[in-house]
Amino acid sequence: MKILDIAFKDLIRSFRSAFAVGMMIIAPLGLIGLIYFAFGGASGGTADLPAVNVGVVNADRLPAEAPLDKPLGDEIRSMFFDESVASWITASDYADEASARTAVDKQEIGVAIIIPQDFTGHFLAGETDSQVLILSDPTLTIAPQVAENMVTAMLDGVSGGRIAIQTVIERQQANGLQPDPAQIPVLINRYTTWYANFQRDMFHNPDRAALTLATAVAEGTSENPIQKMLGIMMAGQMVFFSFFTGAFSMMSILREDEEGTLARLFTMPVRRASILAGKFLAVFLSVVVQGIVLIIAAHYAFNINWGEPLAVALALIGQVIAATGLGVLLISFVKESKQGGPVLGGGLTALGMLGGLFTANISMPKAFTMLANFTPQGWVIKSWGIVLGGQPVSDLLLPFAVMTAMGIVMFVLGAIMFRKRYA
Amino acid sequence: MNAIEVKNLKKSFGDLVAVQGVDIAVQKGEILSLLGPNGAGKSTTISMLAGLLSPSDGEASIMGHSVTKEPEAAKASLGVVPQDIALYPDLSARENLVFWGKMYGLRGAALKTRVDQVLDIIGLTERQKDRVGKFSGGMKRRVNIGAALLHEPDVVIMDEPTVGIDPQSRRHILDNVKELNRQGMTVLYTTHYMEEAAELSDHIAIMDQGKVIAYGTHDELIKLVGEQTRIDLTLNAESAMIFDAWHSVAGVSRIDATDGTVTVLVDDSNQVLPALFEAAAQANVRITSVDIQEPNLETVFLHLTGRALRD
Repeated sequence: MKILDIAFKDLIRSFRSAFAVGMMIIAPLGLIGLIYFAFGGASGGTADLPAVNVGVVNADRLPAEAPLDKPLGDEIRSMFFDESVASWITASDYADEASARTAVDKQEIGVAIIIPQDFTGHFLAGETDSQVLILSDPTLTIAPQVAENMVTAMLDGVSGGRIAIQTVIERQQANGLQPDPAQIPVLINRYTTWYANFQRDMFHNPDRAALTLATAVAEGTSENPIQKMLGIMMAGQMVFFSFFTGAFSMMSILREDEEGTLARLFTMPVRRASILAGKFLAVFLSVVVQGIVLIIAAHYAFNINWGEPLAVALALIGQVIAATGLGVLLISFVKESKQGGPVLGGGLTALGMLGGLFTANISMPKAFTMLANFTPQGWVIKSWGIVLGGQPVSDLLLPFAVMTAMGIVMFVLGAIMFRKRYA
Repeated sequence: MNAIEVKNLKKSFGDLVAVQGVDIAVQKGEILSLLGPNGAGKSTTISMLAGLLSPSDGEASIMGHSVTKEPEAAKASLGVVPQDIALYPDLSARENLVFWGKMYGLRGAALKTRVDQVLDIIGLTERQKDRVGKFSGGMKRRVNIGAALLHEPDVVIMDEPTVGIDPQSRRHILDNVKELNRQGMTVLYTTHYMEEAAELSDHIAIMDQGKVIAYGTHDELIKLVGEQTRIDLTLNAESAMIFDAWHSVAGVSRIDATDGTVTVLVDDSNQVLPALFEAAAQANVRITSVDIQEPNLETVFLHLTGRALRD
């Protein structure tokens, strides 16, 4: 009973400490919150781009006897004026290159698309000396790239169509068939219209697009890649701060030593083993509470899908055992609470980096990945990777066993050192 | 059976012998003061009684329970008031007392009642919900004492409980000690304030350099110095010649000089003082202040050790 009393008292003190609550709960949630908002509030996966102001100078004219209904310049222009891009592109016409260039210089527009006269004629003739000129504000990076990609995609598509029709004609001639000249413009027009619609649908109505990309997504996992990335990041932060909480909570024994309350406890009819057990229990419960709060908060605040409850429970229990064990061991080396900050800050950050807590989303060299196997944090983040990846619970058994073994060994070593110190 | 029994208690830290063979016996219902300067071995002695330190040798028991062989039973009979404040500053006065009460094994209604009583005893019922960290030094001292009284122990050890507090809180604590003793509690009180030892104690043990150098009632100890009067003199200049001259004055038994003050033990200050002034004049030394003190525990300590208690 006295063990519970000591643990309960320590928990009250921890949760009354603004610093402790900040490091246990607020800091990990705050860091993930910053990343979350950096991705535009990624719950729906819709990261908003700033509006792009595009100016279009369309001097293109349809050459005589061209097999098209309208010049290619009109197709390019219409892309930027299309309703489907109206939410992120604001397009306006300019009479000539000089006025568009002035508008870019004055930063009235971010990008100017200059389509020269006779562009369609040169393009259809297969000549390369006529090009669409893209002028951009040098301070911008995304907008010019977007405009260039749009123009390139359109022209690639038209070129592809031209090559396809040319190939069809050549094959017909090779087979002794004479193509009907009247059908060629029809084919080109049909293809150009189809391609423009295809592009629009692919980006804005993927369900109607002729070509779709299918990505295999494991069952039970978030389908949004940003959410999945946030999940791994959140797990990394949770692991890092749970180890911090383990060590910080254990530091209460040093503070009690300095406050004189530990000595006072020793004058009372309480076994020293009970005092230590109460302290260990408080550390364990602190890390449990922190883990549960963070998992629930991250789920509701950032829409992170943690996956199978049993797997989450196993990973959390392993994390708690490992964090408590390391906390007890680390603090057993510290003589006074003033040393605690540097030891915990340096030691846990170094171990966290070696364990891969900050590089969970990045492919690291094999040697670095191997090092993570020697740190408890490495095994804990590995187990969260399994949970978030939707892998079967059986895959968790090895990491769980390693985390538990590491935690128990560290705990026993730390407990022996504490018993020696306070014998 | 004595409430506290200490026999040939010793404690060494490496080569340093902090306590060298202390014998103390405190009867039930008695207040014994351990009086001595800092470093005399008082705190080490009571740390062994409280179970904080293991004796290097000797025996000690509380209410018949050996502190080494039956520590749990001995501690259950004992309340310890540590010299420094030993409380949780982020818990309220009541929360502190409740926690310490639980550590003494109190639960439920008994705990609640006792916490209420102790808050009343230490005069902090009105402030019970305030965090201890916000209290004045004196109020913290009172809670510090209250925590040792929760289980109504047979014996209370108080280690210099009035150090560094205001006179009002000091008075409150001394009155509390007397009241607790009146109710039957045995008190072992350590202090280096002779006035406190004189006011509170049934018996006084004077400690110095790890030993009890004198033991008895206040009056018994005073008699050790034979009713000698202590005269503290401040001189404008010290000279060996004047000390030699004063040693030869009839009625002077001892002369010590520390920090510009010369302390002289004499049989009768009325007879000796004119001779001291005359000798000073002849040595061309001017006496700038004189303080005459009737025999007290300070005089006893000086008589026994050659040093002032405050040194």
